[in-house]
Amino acid sequence: MREFEFLEPQTLTEALAMMSEYEDDACVYAGGTALLLAMRQRMLSPGFVVSLGKLDELREITFNPAEGLRIGALARHSDVARAPDVQAHYPMLAGMAGGLANPQVRNQGTIGGNLCYADPATDPPSCLIAMDAEVTIAGPGGERRLPMREFVVDFFTTALEPGEILTHITLPPPRPDRTGLYRRHLRTPAEHRPVANVALTFRDVNGVPEDVRLVIGAAVPVAQSMTRAEDFLTARAITLDVAAEAAAMVAEDIDPISDGRGEEAFRRQVVRAITRRILAEAAGLNWKDAAA
Amino acid sequence: MTSAIVGEPLPQVSAQEKTLGRAIYSGDVKVAGMLHAKLLRSPYSHAVIRSIDTSAAEALPGVKAVVTGADVPERAWGVAHKQQHVLARGLVRFAGEEVAAVVAVSEAVAQEALDLIVVEYEEAGALLDPEGALDGGAPKVHAEGNLADEINISRGDVEAGFAGADIVHEATYRTHSQYPGYMEPMATVAATDGTGKLTVWTSTQSVFLARQRLAEALDRPVSTIRVIQATVGGGFGAKIVEERSSVIAAFLATVVDRPVRVGLSRLDDIQSGCFSVPTRIHLKMGMMRDGRIVAKDVQVLADCGAYAGLAPEVMLVTAMRSDNMQRIENVRTKAQLVYTHTMPRGAFRGFGGTQMSFALNSHMAVMADMLGMDAIELHRKNAIRTGDVSVHGWNIGSCGLPECLDQVQAAIGWDEKRARPKGTGVLRRGVGMAAVMHVSGNRTMGNWDGSTVVLKVNEDGRAVILTAESDMGQGANTMLSQICAQELGIPLSHVTVQAPDTDSAPYCLGSIASRVTVNAGHAMLKAARQAQGQILEAAAEKLGCDADELSIVDGVVQSNKNGNLFAPLPEICRYHIFRRGGEGILVRATHDPQTVMMDKDHYGNIAPAYSFAAQAVEVEVDTETGQVRVVDTYLSDDCGKAINPLAVHGQSNGAAVQSIGWTLYEHLQFEDGRVMNGNLADYTMPTAESVPTIQSGIVESNDPNGPLGAKGASETAILPGAPAIANAVFDAIGVRITDLPITPEKILAGLAAKEESQHA
Ligand SMILES: Cc1cc2nc3c(=O)[nH]c(=O)nc-3n(C[C@H](O)[C@H](O)[C@H](O)COP(=O)(O)OP(=O)(O)OC[C@H]3O[C@@H](n4cnc5c(N)ncnc54)[C@H](O)[C@@H]3O)c2cc1C
Repeated sequence: MREFEFLEPQTLTEALAMMSEYEDDACVYAGGTALLLAMRQRMLSPGFVVSLGKLDELREITFNPAEGLRIGALARHSDVARAPDVQAHYPMLAGMAGGLANPQVRNQGTIGGNLCYADPATDPPSCLIAMDAEVTIAGPGGERRLPMREFVVDFFTTALEPGEILTHITLPPPRPDRTGLYRRHLRTPAEHRPVANVALTFRDVNGVPEDVRLVIGAAVPVAQSMTRAEDFLTARAITLDVAAEAAAMVAEDIDPISDGRGEEAFRRQVVRAITRRILAEAAGLNWKDAAA
Repeated sequence: MTSAIVGEPLPQVSAQEKTLGRAIYSGDVKVAGMLHAKLLRSPYSHAVIRSIDTSAAEALPGVKAVVTGADVPERAWGVAHKQQHVLARGLVRFAGEEVAAVVAVSEAVAQEALDLIVVEYEEAGALLDPEGALDGGAPKVHAEGNLADEINISRGDVEAGFAGADIVHEATYRTHSQYPGYMEPMATVAATDGTGKLTVWTSTQSVFLARQRLAEALDRPVSTIRVIQATVGGGFGAKIVEERSSVIAAFLATVVDRPVRVGLSRLDDIQSGCFSVPTRIHLKMGMMRDGRIVAKDVQVLADCGAYAGLAPEVMLVTAMRSDNMQRIENVRTKAQLVYTHTMPRGAFRGFGGTQMSFALNSHMAVMADMLGMDAIELHRKNAIRTGDVSVHGWNIGSCGLPECLDQVQAAIGWDEKRARPKGTGVLRRGVGMAAVMHVSGNRTMGNWDGSTVVLKVNEDGRAVILTAESDMGQGANTMLSQICAQELGIPLSHVTVQAPDTDSAPYCLGSIASRVTVNAGHAMLKAARQAQGQILEAAAEKLGCDADELSIVDGVVQSNKNGNLFAPLPEICRYHIFRRGGEGILVRATHDPQTVMMDKDHYGNIAPAYSFAAQAVEVEVDTETGQVRVVDTYLSDDCGKAINPLAVHGQSNGAAVQSIGWTLYEHLQFEDGRVMNGNLADYTMPTAESVPTIQSGIVESNDPNGPLGAKGASETAILPGAPAIANAVFDAIGVRITDLPITPEKILAGLAAKEESQHA
């Protein structure tokens, strides 16, 4: 690892100023779980590491029924998982954050760092897209807000412009008729990162889904909304056959990654399985008795 | 004697210092003026080194020396095959081989200097697949060819056996390489002193073998080198004599004449090799209808990578050890060890046993089905028994295999689970088992498998043990302390085991071949009894009675005839010194077991005792994603006498976890011979969440040759996991996986093939 200067701004303004000053030679440091690995492997060698550690306001998780949930970018996965408001109003998110990686990563890695690094083999993006999340970004020119689905652009690439800092993530207020489920799959039980995951939210209109969001993550370079399956599922009562048909559709529509964690065909098969399962689960059906 | 210490489930004597972070590992050692070294590795599997330009690296401030193959001794080192040098000389034979080293004031500077070394390679064709190694046109790894070793063994009449057999089955199995995955990557600090003597603190399983190898590699007399074992954070075979970084560190210290530290990163440690030997095993067996094995034909192709190291001895174990577990007469083995342009592979816990256990136990399960017989029954039917002499001449002084089988059968609920209807759902469960044997000791490194213990009893009645048998985490020091404390009648906390040091400890072979308890335990017993005898003699003189009537109980020497005759142990120990002609208590005892070296036909009783184990597991297979989960496991280890049941359970449970990792999770990935997943995020070892509650049982067969009946534990326990899992997978889904690891893709492909054949 190359030597670097560790900077600890006391305010967001100061942090942004440092980012502008050192430009390409600066890097934001949140929990360091991704950044330090990249620096150790010398994929990144910033001369200035700008820590967000002193910016306590970025850690906050606040909720109000009118505006919804606001998660500071510096909130750790375990903070998100344990926050009473998240558990009460967004159990899908709490479950996702409490189940990703391993305890070490959950206690050190932040949700902001996770999104900004844009590693495909992660959990939050698909879940947040399905929950209609938005991200707020602070930059030299002020603040801007983007829907989560526009934030991650490609493999390890986000919509962040140089010098910008992700400050928080917001979720719309919970709706009593809207439900959501999240499911991740590990290639083997000893893996930390998902080989594929699926997030599902919909409005339950007398047992029939409306406004369906079905998003696949980890198996694809960027979490992908499965629009054909979403349309197919809209206003259609979910049976095991419907679940299987939608799952097959999703497996066909994704554009999977092929790497050491799984080749394309394997990823499609896993995506199909977990999609069928999440749909069955959403309808209270038992997927275990017979394969599709 | 005192209240029981042997047989008690006691925590390790090193537990406190380790959990407090106070144990000193090699990487923690700091010597005044110490420098740091980093190693440059070849990116190519096979290449000629045309030139190395070190000038820019040397010019970097803080760099003290840059060393290449041109600077190292010409003398080659190795086990039987002397073929390695401190650094590659002119030719690299695997991606990861060390071609240069930088010594600098800090690791960071050394690392930066590595980037400034310019090596001009001329790539040559690489042999990466062992299957083609013996083809005429294959690239040669060594000038003499690609065959590193060949073993042929034949007993009885194999052809007649097959001719008379009721059923015959043959199949080919493949096993892959496993990383030892110890918590502590290799680290060494080496320093020369004003007399030129070289002292080396390193993470090793054997200080004397380490010293021997350093003497050879550095081409200097043994006695000019002192090796001290620091706390070892796990070895699993890799830290016997095959790792290379300690050799490089020692050499660098002699070059700069200052202390040098080489601490490998995890990536470095993985790239430098020391994985287990991958094999292809073709097995053919014939049985009678009643299950008796009447013929066995074994063909092994093993890959040692670029250098032979211990792989020939490993392959010998693969080739013949498991034959001794069963009452067989007709067996023939042909085993070939080949070189490839890949990282050297060699010793690994189980020492070649896991490979053959996978083949044999998979085969036994298939043949049990062919016979319509229960697999445990089939094992019982063929199991060797106490008092038998095996087909290769091993005297089985104790065999608890039948009891191990009983234990696992009951614990896993074998009969009920085998009888339940086959699952048809998405998640299907199955049970499987395996049975194994291992040696406790092995007369293989020359005609001595002995161990010497020096015991000092201080004037306060407390004891210090000097030995060079290594505690690498497996608990040797605890075992020795327990035997010593019990025999001397003192508390465990009054015993200290000195860290192995070649200058002060007696010659020992170290922690290999599960030999330490069975051999050093015996030497300890003898030494303690000798010291006790001296203490009682002195006490008899002081108290004016017969030594025969005295014993030491809880730190007090007392007469069992006259209650008023007693003295605290410290008083007697002082008296032992402070009398005319007295001296401190210092005894030495050696135990060399009554074993023989194998003859040229690989026949002979090589070990004082043999240990056995069985394991049963239950798995759940996800038929849609191919994921296999072990949901229950029970392993029974016949370790003779469990000197410390807690330690035995720890070893059994750790072994079960390591075997689950090998079978299901760990998968070394290469691209053009380069390791692609050299980190623990991508080379996934088992995590707490990925294993079930691990259960184990102990069978105490009390071997007549074992100290207090004890045999080795721990290596036996790694042997049965893989085939037990493969057999359970077959029970669950009817798919037989014959090549490890059992990946989700193989499960899915197997299910698809089965589906197709049913529709065909
Ligand atoms: C072994 C392991 C297993 C893992 N498994 C999983 C898993 O199963 N699921 C999963 O989702 N994730 C997983 N991860 C990823 C983990 O969640 C992320 O590493 C973590 O969330 C990153 O957060 P951090 O605070 O440590 O980021 P850092 O390492 O500090 O930063 C990461 C990157 O984001 C930038 N950055 C950080 N914060 C901001 C900000 N506010 N604004 C702008 N840029 C910023 C940094 O400059 C850097 O480039 C795993 C990681 C490891 C090491």
